[in-house]
Amino acid sequence: MPTPGDAKPFRPRGTYDTVSESGVVPGTLDTMRWLWTPAWIARHVAMVVLVVGFLGLGWWQISRATAGNSLSWGYAVEWPVFAGFVVYVWWREVKLARRRAQGDAVADSAEVPAVEPAPADAAGSRPAVRRPVRVARVPAAAAGAEDADLAAYNRYLSWLNANPGARPGDYPG
Amino acid sequence: MGAALTRYRVIAWIVGVVLILLVVVGMPLKYGFDNPVVVETIGPAHGFLYMIYLVAAFDLSRRADWPLKRMLLVMLAGTMPFVSFYAERRVSSWLAAPRAERTPEPVAN
Repeated sequence: MPTPGDAKPFRPRGTYDTVSESGVVPGTLDTMRWLWTPAWIARHVAMVVLVVGFLGLGWWQISRATAGNSLSWGYAVEWPVFAGFVVYVWWREVKLARRRAQGDAVADSAEVPAVEPAPADAAGSRPAVRRPVRVARVPAAAAGAEDADLAAYNRYLSWLNANPGARPGDYPG
Repeated sequence: MGAALTRYRVIAWIVGVVLILLVVVGMPLKYGFDNPVVVETIGPAHGFLYMIYLVAAFDLSRRADWPLKRMLLVMLAGTMPFVSFYAERRVSSWLAAPRAERTPEPVAN
């Protein structure tokens, strides 16, 4: 009896999401190729240069601090924090770009009418499992203060629903 | 968003005022009259406050979903005397404008 874990490697190519995964060999770095365009290489190089430079400045401040400048202990802590911030921003840009690309793919497939997914259904014996349709709408705010609160809460819930995996601290409202 | 904007505006105003004190009062005293006491006291305080400014600007940019370039420009604007006040006004106008236009859609017809 196949379990969900061992079903995955045996799935033949072409039965699953052929639009976004065509030409990509699973288990290789093909899915990361979009990180190797000139613009992204420039960003990676900038990240490495900034991190190395900031850590070097931190080292310089440590040498100044041991030479007797007590204020430099603070700067010696600050520069590594800046270096960490650069890495964090770089990682965040990568993550946002990936999510944006996935979001575009989801939006593209959502624009196609519901008749389209039928070939995938017919091609394989596996029944197609569709995700629930995501509706991007803001709930109506009725008159009254408590209704405004309710609307704000509904907006928060719809945001949570629209961003699976997001933490409550990420809520922009 | 509102609270983050308020935090940013408060710290931007404080950093702007301290930076102007440093440049307009401290620098002439140190280099013109050889009296570095203002620079030595306000200087580290400004450095520390600027760190708080950076944190507030980053928090705001994350919530407002700014592009990276805009976030870096707002952060750098805090280092320039007088420009920081202009930047604070620009940021406030960016975030104040689309709020009023946003009208909720009815859920069920």
